[in-house]
Amino acid sequence: MREAFLKRVREAAASGRQYRVHTADVPARAGYIGAGDDPLARLANEVTLVGGHAQVVEDLPQARREVVALLSRFAPKSVLCWEHPLLDRLGLAELLQNAGAGAISHASLSPLPLTEQRQQMLAADLCISSVSYAVAETGTLAVASAPGRERCGSLIAPVHLAIVEASQVLPDLFDLFEKLEAEGLERLPSNVTLITGPSKSGDIELTLTTGVHGPGEWHVLVIRNT
Amino acid sequence: MSDYARHEHHDFMAASAEAMADPGLQGALGKLASSLGQRNKDAWAALEGSDLLREKARKIKDATLAELDKHLETLEASVIRRGGHVHFADDAEAARTIIQQIVRDCGAKKIVKSKSMTSEEIHLNGALESIGCQVVETDLGEYIIQLADERPSHLVAPAIHKRLADVTEVLSRDAGRQLPADPTELCAYARGRLRGHFAEAEVGITGGNFAVAETGTVVLVTNEGNGRLTTALPRVHIALVGIEKVIPKFADLPVFLKVLARAATGQKLSIYTSLTNGPRQPGELDGPEEFHLVLLDNGRSKILGGPLRESLFCIRCGACLNACPIYRNVGGHAYGGVYAGPIGAVITPLYDGLPANHHLPAASSLCGACKAACPVKIAIPDMLVKLREQLHTAAEAKPNRLEGLAYGLWARSLRSPWLYRVSTWLATRFSRLRRGGRWIKRLPGPLHGWTGSRDFPAPAASRFRDWWAEEEKLHTSQSPNPGASWPPLGIQPNRGLLVASAVLLALWNLFLVGIILWK
Repeated sequence: MREAFLKRVREAAASGRQYRVHTADVPARAGYIGAGDDPLARLANEVTLVGGHAQVVEDLPQARREVVALLSRFAPKSVLCWEHPLLDRLGLAELLQNAGAGAISHASLSPLPLTEQRQQMLAADLCISSVSYAVAETGTLAVASAPGRERCGSLIAPVHLAIVEASQVLPDLFDLFEKLEAEGLERLPSNVTLITGPSKSGDIELTLTTGVHGPGEWHVLVIRNT
Repeated sequence: MSDYARHEHHDFMAASAEAMADPGLQGALGKLASSLGQRNKDAWAALEGSDLLREKARKIKDATLAELDKHLETLEASVIRRGGHVHFADDAEAARTIIQQIVRDCGAKKIVKSKSMTSEEIHLNGALESIGCQVVETDLGEYIIQLADERPSHLVAPAIHKRLADVTEVLSRDAGRQLPADPTELCAYARGRLRGHFAEAEVGITGGNFAVAETGTVVLVTNEGNGRLTTALPRVHIALVGIEKVIPKFADLPVFLKVLARAATGQKLSIYTSLTNGPRQPGELDGPEEFHLVLLDNGRSKILGGPLRESLFCIRCGACLNACPIYRNVGGHAYGGVYAGPIGAVITPLYDGLPANHHLPAASSLCGACKAACPVKIAIPDMLVKLREQLHTAAEAKPNRLEGLAYGLWARSLRSPWLYRVSTWLATRFSRLRRGGRWIKRLPGPLHGWTGSRDFPAPAASRFRDWWAEEEKLHTSQSPNPGASWPPLGIQPNRGLLVASAVLLALWNLFLVGIILWK
């Protein structure tokens, strides 16, 4: 079946070559836009434009104050957290403890049976993650999966907070794909998701609604100096 | 789920007349131009060098299709290297059987689906229900039309034909209580209901916007996040992907992602773009443990080898639908196929046979708005014209002798300046005999199609060349060009043939005039 399938495609591709379309030569960097002088400000601006809440802070203490403010505003019972060096430097575990929020993470979920894991994740009311990279021009966060960096960790709760540091920010989408390729295509994470906004739908009379499956509220905290 | 098998083709003209008379549908479609259509235009305008980027995407598609078999083999090897399984499905039935088998093997009872037109194309839901599975569409629009037992009418806004009142009714029936007619509330209801399904489903089925050969990456683009949940929670992920979705290199992806979102919804990027690379890695807590890629031919290889192979460039963004004055008036269901709008008018006859879909190539004014909106610049109007030509030359087409004679005479008179002059002169004589204005409202008999939905312009009472000659006479002292008006040219080679043709032409004009005067 496979052989016949590929043979059929091979013959069709060959006979289709007489109908190839004429295309003009295109410069290699066509469509590259970049992010200007201040990529962090650009990132925050674009995040806001697509319906997120972005803030650029100078350092970790300022970032802590912002996180504390958000935690007191949402008063989450259960927070699904990534395990990430930036979140450790921020001291997130302590901040959550102080706020009286229960943290669920890879460490707490791993020993549980599958159904229990799922139920706990589905019950989370806040997701806190970092990112692998961010793209300033589009206001995009790239989150790559790994043990401790769950797919659900930026997806499953009604609110998602992402903590980003300057070194993670790239100007353009093209830069992101170059970075991922430079890290080795054979080692691509099993899932890389690009997030550009809170979950949206226009399926009811083209009226925009948010939070249909993913988080309806999307907060991005960008730290200049870490 | 209602199905629409090959023998159930409906008549495009009848279906469009019905659509035009449906005030609800007209209200829903009326929003398209100012929303999605306008956003598409704005997005191209805002992107510097957008034309070059679209050209690049087009170039990649063209080059990929020229070596498609090799890229498929590379893709297969990459997916297997990442621990996934690859299946080759010749047609819809083969694909259904393969997917049924995977589902049986893992003993699944509940399946969640992210939006996939390819699964619509193979009528997958019915096939899975027939083996005792519950299939739940999770895209909000798809969920609504699944509950309403309808089918999508737009590539990216599947429930665009439903008004708020319809949606409220459909979801209220599902809820068993009256829900408020408010999009936010309805959305919240659907979120809660679908979360329940996500929590239980053993299998997630998706399509794929792109499949990258060198990495085995299947790309899913959604705005709601249902594609992410479908590939995060269920134990098994099945991606059903048409073979034309393959692109060779990882570095090609940003080119397509940049044009896809802009074309589809005017966004720089869709909210969620998932690059899935096989099953989860050791230690990960979510993502599928098992990944299957089903590569679907179902007529694509036939198109690949023929003159309309460019239709395989399509990345299913829906921009041509939003731009099309016909689609915006009649909606997606009038087209009768899985794929609607300008691109549907091209590919439905290709997948499903031209004679059965003979109305579709004519369901266009050839205005070119579709080509202008297309992120890969597919020459849709040219392809529609080619299909119209095929309708006349195909073996199964029934030749119309009268039509053949009429066009033959017309072509003959256009090839000879002398005959052309005679015929235009005759037309003005007959036009003077006719009463009525510049438009003919109704033509009888076989010609009624010309005037069924528009007026036919009446021949002018005087020819341009006569008018020009008069003007020249007024403005210059010289005598006008002697060849410009009746009597015709002085030198007449092959006089016998020309005289015979002139007689035929006169008869043809008499026939036309008879029709015009016959009321």
